[in-house]
Amino acid sequence: MEDVLDEIVSSEDLQKFEKVFHEQLHRGTVTHKAQFEYAWCLVRSKYPTDIRKGILLLKELFNSHPEGKRDYLFYLAIGNARIKEYNKALHYVKSFLEIEPANQQVLTLERQITKRMEKEGLIGIAHWALLMNALLGVHYLFAKKKQIKED
Amino acid sequence: MGVGKSCLLHQFTDKKFMADCPHTIGVEFGTRIIEVAGQKIKLQIWDTAGQERFRAVTRSYYRGAAGALMVYDITRRSTYNHLSSWLTDTRNLTNPSTVIFLIGNKSDLDAQRDVTYEEAKQFADENGLMFVEASAKTGQNVEEAFLETAKKIYQSIQDGRLDLNAAESGVQHKPASPGRPLAAPPAARDNCAC
Ligand SMILES: Nc1nc2c(ncn2[C@@H]2O[C@H](COP(=O)(O)OP(=O)(O)O)[C@@H](O)[C@H]2O)c(=O)[nH]1
Ligand SMILES: [Mg+2]
Repeated sequence: MEDVLDEIVSSEDLQKFEKVFHEQLHRGTVTHKAQFEYAWCLVRSKYPTDIRKGILLLKELFNSHPEGKRDYLFYLAIGNARIKEYNKALHYVKSFLEIEPANQQVLTLERQITKRMEKEGLIGIAHWALLMNALLGVHYLFAKKKQIKED
Repeated sequence: MGVGKSCLLHQFTDKKFMADCPHTIGVEFGTRIIEVAGQKIKLQIWDTAGQERFRAVTRSYYRGAAGALMVYDITRRSTYNHLSSWLTDTRNLTNPSTVIFLIGNKSDLDAQRDVTYEEAKQFADENGLMFVEASAKTGQNVEEAFLETAKKIYQSIQDGRLDLNAAESGVQHKPASPGRPLAAPPAARDNCAC
């Protein structure tokens, strides 16, 4: 694990907090704490569907529980970055930094997100280059064949 | 006000003191590569937030830690008084070979001291903990605390007390990459939000 975006929740943890959340849901009232704990596990899951669910729960909390805003913004940024929604992730980072511009934890997260964007952008270009090479190669072969035929 | 866990981590990883460190959200993550007995060891350190709303989830980070640093603030007795319950928690969640180090932080504020060195030293001895007073602000004893923890972990491996093959050991051997043979995620697991 190199940074906070690589961290994966253990399945025992995910199940444990899922159970608490569902029990409360079943009884009709979910506490902010139970919803946050479950969402925090979901956004660290390796499955994008879990992460999306976590994001929805965090958005709900963000709108209903202003005291916890900074926590929710932080994990909204992490969740979105993990499903490669980098622009959304950076949007949450920016909202956070408007309130606490010098927060090291969030500045580090911002750097990790932009690093990933760059890395994946470069990988994109590398793929392109390979594809171009392949096309040129084929073209070259065709050209050669033609030449042979014409000879 | 916090006891200074995040400041200790930043002092150790970046050699900087953050005067206005905001409350940690959940868990912060730091790494540093050190050398013990000629071996390169990568320390992975988790700095857990102490507030109640994070407590249930951060407990999972104790599991599989090769080491834990418990921190109190020498200028506030209440943070010292909470140590036994944090220690019980730490012992329950880690394995018997986990190295536990106690840090009395903010030693630069000696004039406001509320807990004597002797008292804390006695507590540490009685409970088999390593102990120093340190200051994240001046950097005093910060290196020592982390390095001593790492050394102790390393010794446990050498003596065979810590089994590298056990999933919960918190230590990974990386023979493939020369120059970085050991990756040891210990972990600042600290505590006391207070
Ligand atoms: N004087 C002094 N202040 C410190 C020291 N370490 C931390 N602080 C201050 O104590 C406060 C809490 O520190 P922080 O690292 O956020 O505590 P945490 O909640 O345990 O992570 C911050 O305002 C720091 O500037 C220290 O060694 N000396
Ligand atoms: Mg902190």
